Amino acid sequence: MNAQSSLKRIDGISDDDLAGLMKMAQTGDTEAYSQLLHEVTIRLRRIVRRSRSFLSNEDVEDLVQDILLSLHSVRATYDPQRPFMPWLLAITRNRLADGARRYARTGGREVNADCLDVTFINENANKAIDLFGKEDLKNAIDGLPAAQRTAVEMLKLRQMSLKEAAAVSGMSIGALKVATHRAMIALRKMLMKTNERKY
Amino acid sequence: MGWLTISGIYMAIVVSLTKDHGLPPKWNDPRFIVEQVSALAVGVGAAVAAFATIVPGHKSRLLAILLIPVAAWLGTVGEGCIHSWTRLGPRALLLAHDLACFPFIALSSTIPAILMALMLRQGAPLTPRLTAGLGGLAAAGLANFFLRLFHPEDVTVMLLCWHVGGVFLLSALAASVGGYLLNWGSITDASENTAR
Repeated sequence: MNAQSSLKRIDGISDDDLAGLMKMAQTGDTEAYSQLLHEVTIRLRRIVRRSRSFLSNEDVEDLVQDILLSLHSVRATYDPQRPFMPWLLAITRNRLADGARRYARTGGREVNADCLDVTFINENANKAIDLFGKEDLKNAIDGLPAAQRTAVEMLKLRQMSLKEAAAVSGMSIGALKVATHRAMIALRKMLMKTNERKY
Repeated sequence: MGWLTISGIYMAIVVSLTKDHGLPPKWNDPRFIVEQVSALAVGVGAAVAAFATIVPGHKSRLLAILLIPVAAWLGTVGEGCIHSWTRLGPRALLLAHDLACFPFIALSSTIPAILMALMLRQGAPLTPRLTAGLGGLAAAGLANFFLRLFHPEDVTVMLLCWHVGGVFLLSALAASVGGYLLNWGSITDASENTAR
């Protein structure tokens, strides 16, 4: 058996059989189409792995799916009088080239960062709670200047509205906003220092 | 064949509406006949080549069918320029601003170009720019053929610039937007929408 005929018969199904399945699929035979896609997928995975051996399994599967989608989109361009594999390989080569260009534009410039713990379930994300307790917070608020302490107590601790806090404290709404903003910055600095002293 | 038929009918209608503003064709001039036959062959050949490029596994040597008519067309136009030079001297080099030629080619090739784009999107966008460029060449080339039927002035540098240059300029413009018109993403989406 020469090389050409061995290529024509892989896994017991020949190029002629694939052409026949495609011809039936073009007439609307869904079972033939399903069988064709199954046979083609096996071959495509092998082809993609051989030509892009550096890719992970997920990337290989992505490329195979791209090729299958393209095959589906342009199935009407297949001429049943001609062999099937050259038609499929032309699409495959084109999609592999597209994949390489896409990788060069995006993946080649990405850097895989460490998996950061940002969910509440993961204990590592909740370390801040252990950094300082209620006593530390109370001491930090007591250490604020009067206007900032008043703003924090009314707006943050007693959950008053700006209007209510302005009426009670005698400060304007704008002054309350500025005082709150400065208080937050000051509290953050004080609590960070407290944390450094502890650890 | 479908594209050629529809485009031919459309352009024949356009010519019939505008021919009274021009000159009768010079059917007794062998140079004019060769030029027209090769220009028509460029339009038809470019259409055949464009449709060939959207079939996966197409024979790339089909593109070579364009070489002969393009060479013949440029050859006759070039020969006409040389003939004008020997007859008129430096006046033959004048680039008189003929406002009718290029806009006519551009406008009359619009409908065939749109039709060509819609048909090419049914195929595989293996070489988007080349496919779009060939499609543009087909539409503009056909428009030039019909324009010359009632614009059969002797070939000069002016004609070389506005007619031949205009055809290739439109082809280049089509090629430049080929990637946007013909890409797997839009064709796959269109296929899925049709399936729904």
